[in-house]
Amino acid sequence: MVVDDEPIVGKRLKRLFKKEGYEVEAFTRSASAIMELDKKTFDIIITDLKMEGVDGLKLLKIARGKNPSVKVIIITGYGRKSIAKEAINKGAFDFITKPFKVNDLKQSVRKAERELRHK
Amino acid sequence: MKLKIWHKMIIGIAIPSCIAILGNVLTYKYITDVENRQGYVQIGDDLKELVLEVRRNERNFLYYKNEESLKNLHNAISNLSDSATSISPKTTKEIGKTDFLEFQNSIGKYSDLIDSLYDKYLVAREFTEKVRAEGRKLETFVSKGGHAKELTTSFILHLRLLEKNYMLFHDKKSFLELNSGLSQLTSIIPFCNECSPYIQTMKDLFKIYSQNSSMEDDIQIIGDKFEKNTKEIAIREREKISSFVKLTKRHLLIALALLCTLGPLFVYKTATYIVTPIKRLSEITKRISEGDITLRAPLKEHDETFSLAVSFNTMLDHLQLTHESLEKSLELLREKQAQLVESEKRASIGLLVSGVAHELNNPLNNISLTAETMLEDLEELDPDELKGYVQDIFSQSERAHHIVEDLLDFARARRSTVMEKQDIAGIVKGSVNLIANQLRVNNINLHLDVPEKEIFVRGNLSKLEQVFVNIFINAIQAMKDRGTLTVSIEADEENKNVHINICDTGPGISPDKLKDIFEPFFTTKPVGQGTGLGLSVSQSLIKEHGGEIEVESEEGIGTTFTVKFPLYGERGRTAASGEVPNMEQGKTG
Repeated sequence: MVVDDEPIVGKRLKRLFKKEGYEVEAFTRSASAIMELDKKTFDIIITDLKMEGVDGLKLLKIARGKNPSVKVIIITGYGRKSIAKEAINKGAFDFITKPFKVNDLKQSVRKAERELRHK
Repeated sequence: MKLKIWHKMIIGIAIPSCIAILGNVLTYKYITDVENRQGYVQIGDDLKELVLEVRRNERNFLYYKNEESLKNLHNAISNLSDSATSISPKTTKEIGKTDFLEFQNSIGKYSDLIDSLYDKYLVAREFTEKVRAEGRKLETFVSKGGHAKELTTSFILHLRLLEKNYMLFHDKKSFLELNSGLSQLTSIIPFCNECSPYIQTMKDLFKIYSQNSSMEDDIQIIGDKFEKNTKEIAIREREKISSFVKLTKRHLLIALALLCTLGPLFVYKTATYIVTPIKRLSEITKRISEGDITLRAPLKEHDETFSLAVSFNTMLDHLQLTHESLEKSLELLREKQAQLVESEKRASIGLLVSGVAHELNNPLNNISLTAETMLEDLEELDPDELKGYVQDIFSQSERAHHIVEDLLDFARARRSTVMEKQDIAGIVKGSVNLIANQLRVNNINLHLDVPEKEIFVRGNLSKLEQVFVNIFINAIQAMKDRGTLTVSIEADEENKNVHINICDTGPGISPDKLKDIFEPFFTTKPVGQGTGLGLSVSQSLIKEHGGEIEVESEEGIGTTFTVKFPLYGERGRTAASGEVPNMEQGKTG
């Protein structure tokens, strides 16, 4: 699941990870993403931090409430260390700042996948 | 003039007083003189009385020619003489010394003459007896039928009658009649032995009488002189009194005139001399109190005001030094304040820039993500897809360009200091845009109630933006990570001012801190997060624009800042102002 109010991010990441062999769904509004979480179980969630309405940290909390094993990778343009720390403490798998390298994201997703498989 | 004020006062008072005293002294002297003169008049009158007494007795003596009258006359003379000698030499000097000495000498001479005359009277009496005896002899001789028949008894009797008349009257007529009678007798009998003794004694008597008469005349002349002298003394003294009174009157009038003219003149001059330096000092202090502390009191007079002026000038020197050092301190303080204001500006710009930088990250990320994935999938992508990628890159770079453009506009606007017609609604909206990212980052809702119509005020764009950005940032920081910022604009009832209300839903400010929030360096934020200058700078900028800022706060509910600016054209300017529609204030939260 990719959640970012920037449509381009959703669009690109969807195509990128589909090519990698993942099933990907992209959302520009966190509210509709949460609704989707009720219907499906997602293994990995890539979400923006600052969004209108429910922000990345809230989404993290909700998602982990529904599925504690879910791996949430947070990407944000506001690369403050304090927020990164807070996010990791709240159970985020990784914290990546914008603009990110595609490879960094890919590696993070692969790492999450490995951890999931390992379990 | 090197005179002290009290010297001047003494002179001013002394001169009119001297005139008055002089007038009084003169008057006193004249009155004393008049008193003395009245005494002299009395003396003159007394002497005149005594002289009249002497003259009365003189007449009696000349008439009776006897011892008693002589005695009375001498008594009167001695009374006069006593009285004259009892007069003091000072008095005699005053009433005419030479005249008086002559008068005194005349008394002695007069007395001697009287005595001589009395002796002559005795001789005359003797001769009278002789004449009578010779007459009787002649009478007897003729009656006996004597010498010639021409010499008749009747002739002799007639002659004796003439003789008696002459004896009785002693006047010229009786003398001429008697003398012609004697001539007749001589012509009747030229050589008559019996007749010649009579004729001879008669002639002797004539001689004596003549001598007596001349003495009497002398006495009378002296008496007249006495009378005249004493009369003159009284008259002279009266005249003197009269002239003294006239002189006194004239002098008194002169003194009065001097007092009336010189007195006020001296008093006025003295007052002027005293007041002029004080007035000059007072004028200079007035001018100094109006602000020109470089002025100094003139050091013209050498009286008490001189030392006052010197002290005053010394005080002014100190004051000027203090003033100058204060001005220097103030200048330094202004520089420091300007530096602080500048650092506050930089702090707010920093916040804005960090917001803008973060905002830039989104388009940059989109560009890099699109470019990277495009590069990866280049061979797989069909031309339409490629076009979409390139369009995304283009649109995102455009987006980044806009952000940078906005930042440049903001930076450019800050450099201008021109005060001109500004649309306050537009500025409020622009300022909100500048902090839009901060709002988003901090999860703050914005409720903007700004009319579409332009509302004009006179001001500087960047300064006005700074006012609102500072207040907005303050509100954002107060609300931390959630809340609602409400911004509304409305006009006051008289349509003279525009009110911009900025409400936050932060924790509010306690009343004891509320009074300090516009103080420089007052901050409730942790160290390092705020300079405490933001609201202070906003307040000074608002004042610069002729506006006001007020704050209301309730703990637990939030804080409302109300910024008031006069509408364009409401500060004596003629330019048209934008109308502000009446609006409901949209407060939420």
